[in-house]
Amino acid sequence: MAMSLSLSLQAANDTLFASSVRIGMDVSGFARQFVEPETIFREVSLDVEWKHNYFAVLEAGLLDINVEKETHRYQADGYYIRIGADFNILGRSPEAPNDLVLLAVRYGFSTLGHEAPFIVIPDAYWGDYQTSVEAENYRAHWIEAGIGLKTELWHNIFIGWNLRGRLLLHNTREPEMEPYFIGGFGKAGGNTSLMLHYHIYYRIPFR
Amino acid sequence: MAYHNRSGLAIWKFFLALSGMVFLCWACQDDEICEDITANDLRIGFYLTDQDDTQWTVVDSLRVFSLEQPDTPVYEHLTSVSILELPLNPAANGCAFVIDFYHLTDTLWITYHRETQFISVECGFTMFFELTGVSHTKNHIVSIEETMTYVTNTLDEHLKVFIPDTGNGDEPEPELAGS
Repeated sequence: MAMSLSLSLQAANDTLFASSVRIGMDVSGFARQFVEPETIFREVSLDVEWKHNYFAVLEAGLLDINVEKETHRYQADGYYIRIGADFNILGRSPEAPNDLVLLAVRYGFSTLGHEAPFIVIPDAYWGDYQTSVEAENYRAHWIEAGIGLKTELWHNIFIGWNLRGRLLLHNTREPEMEPYFIGGFGKAGGNTSLMLHYHIYYRIPFR
Repeated sequence: MAYHNRSGLAIWKFFLALSGMVFLCWACQDDEICEDITANDLRIGFYLTDQDDTQWTVVDSLRVFSLEQPDTPVYEHLTSVSILELPLNPAANGCAFVIDFYHLTDTLWITYHRETQFISVECGFTMFFELTGVSHTKNHIVSIEETMTYVTNTLDEHLKVFIPDTGNGDEPEPELAGS
């Protein structure tokens, strides 16, 4: 009897698809700020299940870095967006119909302004070298792919993490200074990056 | 994937949340050592002209100073040297070093572009270099081959310096002369 009811619910889930909207916040920025208070990242996300197991996703965030040390000062601020899709590869069970294991693809764009008004590069032989880098703008485009999990902890409240590998497609050529961090992409200096994100989500109950 | 019961589901969810937190903490680890990641010396390997260029040779002894600061030696009396680390001048687009092999002396001129690089919040900035030219006298040095253009904080060898076999070189144990 229980098995038959379970199967019926499964079939209902498969056939009576209703779109859902979920908003989220990346809390890994708070964790990073705990370790490195000078760097602030805030990111929110919006995903819509437009087709069974297919999610359209928009992620947007802010970057703010303000470093003041004895040997250097560095400031950067900017924003970024990522758009793409998730695909759920986890079968929907009656006990946890909203849990997801997701494959993700994204396109990302980031813009920031940064400057280093005071830099001292210590050198044991030549002596300390003092310099500065004037304010300049920087832009980057990239694609990314990853895998992630979302699980419903309580009614419409989800947690999840995802691991993303990123490939830089285009960026500002020969900037006077490479940015310390490209918002939404990760540490600058290479064409690739790997980042882990940890999210909390709320699914807006439409049904 | 099916869940056999609610307690199993709860455990799975707890594991999911915990594993994410563990990964997050791991990702936040920042065990960098500033001296290592801001090091940007030019690395020169010594080789014999008539032997393959995969095997360092050993220079018995040498001293090094820059033309810009001749009274301040970079190295005073180094012995058994296979690799030499030379500090490029972060305040100029070129510098020159005199390598005194004791019986003969050579001068090495190096030109480069500089790029200010922000390494990290704690370690601050360093200078990376892109080599644009290397020239030298030929009193003892026969030739120089540029093997790596970018001088960054990696441990790559940038120049191969070929010197003649004076009969003193043996199969060397690689030894580093660091600043």
